[in-house]
Amino acid sequence: MGLEPIVRVRNLHKYFLRGSEQIDVLNDLSLNVPEAEFLALMGPSGSGKTTLLNLIAGLDQPSEGEIWVGEHLISGMSEAQLARWRTRHVGFVFQFYNLLPVLTAYENVELPLLLLPLSSAERKRQVLTALDLVGLSNRLSHRPGQLSGGQQQRVGIARAIVTDPTLIVADEPTGDLDARSAEDILNLLVELKDGLKKTIIMVTHDPRAASRAERVLHLEKGQLVHDTAHASW
Amino acid sequence: MSPLERGALWWERFTSQPLYVLAAMLALLVVYTMGVYRKQMWFMLKSLRRNLLRSILTSLATVVLVLVVTLVWSILYFLDKATSEKAKDLKAIVTERWQIPSQMPFAYAASLSEGAAARPTDVRPDDNMTWQFYGGTIDPGKRTRENTVFFFCMDPRKLLTMMDGLDELTLQERSDLDHAIDVMVKDKRKVVIGKDRLAAMKKRVGERIKVTSLNYKDIDLEVEIIAEFPDGRYNQSAIMNRDYLNDAMDDYNAKQKAKGLPTHPLTMKSLNLVWLRVPDTDAYQRVADQIMSSSLYSSPAVKCETASSGISSFLDAYRDLLWGMRWLLVPSILVTMSLVIANAISISVRERRVEMAVLKVLGFSPGQIMALVLGEAILIGGLSGAFSSGATYVLINQVAGGLKFPIAFFPAFLIPEDALWWGPMIGIGTAVAGSFFPAWSARTVKVSDVFSKIS
Ligand SMILES: Nc1ncnc2c1ncn2[C@@H]1O[C@H](COP(=O)(O)OP(=O)(O)OP(=O)(O)O)[C@@H](O)[C@H]1O
Ligand SMILES: [Mg+2]
Repeated sequence: MGLEPIVRVRNLHKYFLRGSEQIDVLNDLSLNVPEAEFLALMGPSGSGKTTLLNLIAGLDQPSEGEIWVGEHLISGMSEAQLARWRTRHVGFVFQFYNLLPVLTAYENVELPLLLLPLSSAERKRQVLTALDLVGLSNRLSHRPGQLSGGQQQRVGIARAIVTDPTLIVADEPTGDLDARSAEDILNLLVELKDGLKKTIIMVTHDPRAASRAERVLHLEKGQLVHDTAHASW
Repeated sequence: MSPLERGALWWERFTSQPLYVLAAMLALLVVYTMGVYRKQMWFMLKSLRRNLLRSILTSLATVVLVLVVTLVWSILYFLDKATSEKAKDLKAIVTERWQIPSQMPFAYAASLSEGAAARPTDVRPDDNMTWQFYGGTIDPGKRTRENTVFFFCMDPRKLLTMMDGLDELTLQERSDLDHAIDVMVKDKRKVVIGKDRLAAMKKRVGERIKVTSLNYKDIDLEVEIIAEFPDGRYNQSAIMNRDYLNDAMDDYNAKQKAKGLPTHPLTMKSLNLVWLRVPDTDAYQRVADQIMSSSLYSSPAVKCETASSGISSFLDAYRDLLWGMRWLLVPSILVTMSLVIANAISISVRERRVEMAVLKVLGFSPGQIMALVLGEAILIGGLSGAFSSGATYVLINQVAGGLKFPIAFFPAFLIPEDALWWGPMIGIGTAVAGSFFPAWSARTVKVSDVFSKIS
């Protein structure tokens, strides 16, 4: 384990053009995330949390600045390179789960593995491991419509970890869940961090969810400020 | 032919057609791809099943349109084949020039059979055959389609060498026919009739029938059926030794003369067609020139054509119709199919914008996403097309016994075996054409646009 942080964001700028108007969302933002940290990002709506998360996950390109994840400079990659990189290195958890409705829980989790050169036996083993980890071994052939919100989100998490990525990004993963299910999901994320040493970056509006993270950062005016509530950081 | 020989022949025919080989290679590629990407195929199938009604309607539209294209192309295919010149071993037809039906004096037969060759340097045909049509009924009291029979009166020995389609007989069929020909040569009253015609007349081999002529008035002939044709294209045909008709005509005219009465009205008009076999187009051209420039055939004048040019000139009457079928009907159907598929696929892409974005997040590249969308269209188009042409082939050929489309003198058209790959190819082609733009728009879905709330 290197001492260097796994995610290194340097002088990041991101603006969108709407017509002739330039909307600056992220402004000279820098961030380090050490390996196996559980980080929460908070901030008012429209402050650019999703934008930042998408940039770190390689879903969009920065206007300026550098983003390193591990030894990869992802801010310099082409769209196809990013796609290949994402498969192996990032797991994405969505607020609205975004499982494919036509596929079973098993097939949803298997989907990212189809992009990797694995034998079908290996694939099967990995899918079953991931689903076992989220406690859904008994729901393999259920389709999303037949699962509760909490269960769907657990399938979503299984899909995010099935390729064994180092980095997991989650955009309001508990935003659509009741308190009980949200609690389960947060427990699971903590377990991934503690047990499997995953690095987790989670965007949330919910202070209780944020309190489960090791560090909370606030996004304001396109820059990050430390959470005053967490004295340890 | 042994199965091995048959297989070798088939293989030779197959590999001599680059298009077949290409299609086979493509099919192998498809099967291979399906094997490697079976999970992806499964996913596509499931996606198609999601909006089952839309998929079924799209598929039905494809099936119907491929059916129409298959029928139209089958007709064009046969007409093209019939009118395209065989460069080697072709047959020429000599007929009366200015009149249909052609009626020439039988006196023309001998010299026409030699291609009007007069000088030693002239080209002589390899083989020849004369046709005189003699039709009549076996029940003059009450003539029906069933009890009527039309004979080709010819030299029986030309049957095996000049008639089409008798070169694929089994050894047994061939020796039976050889024997029948011998008998016909020895006894001009013996005839061979196809089995369907026999069945219609309710007659059997061995029976004698008395034919009251329809076209040769007062020349009625009694014949004995000694064999039927081998099963196939001659099931409705009948042949007679031409000597029988010609001798009967001579007898009739002798009697008329004795009574001081005029000869039979068809006396100078009993030769309908002369077939000539020539080795190549060059020989054909020379024989045709010899005949056309000969002074022997002035009244009536004659013309010489190849079988296909004869059909071509016949088809001239239908030229606009055929042109429209080929260049208007078929293309507009293909465009319609593409539009139907484009419509269905673009609706489904729009519905699944978020899903496409999710796939991108998971690491699917733009190309892979495009392939998934194209794949869905190809799957539905290819399967519907294959089903449609397969069903058309079986229904038309096996069940309906050919497509009854009265053009020229073709009684019915069969769907060629080639149609079995036209179907999937049309389906896939129109699917790719129709789904290209929807697939492109799926490919360019921007994840950040889909997942951020744009205020
Ligand atoms: N693709 C885009 N094109 C134009 N503007 C965009 C785009 N994506 C985001 N924005 C703008 O950037 C700003 C930040 O959006 P973002 O979605 O990152 O906010 P957020 O912090 O995630 O908000 P929320 O808490 O509501 O999810 C908003 O003003 C948004 O309108
Ligand atoms: Mg957001």
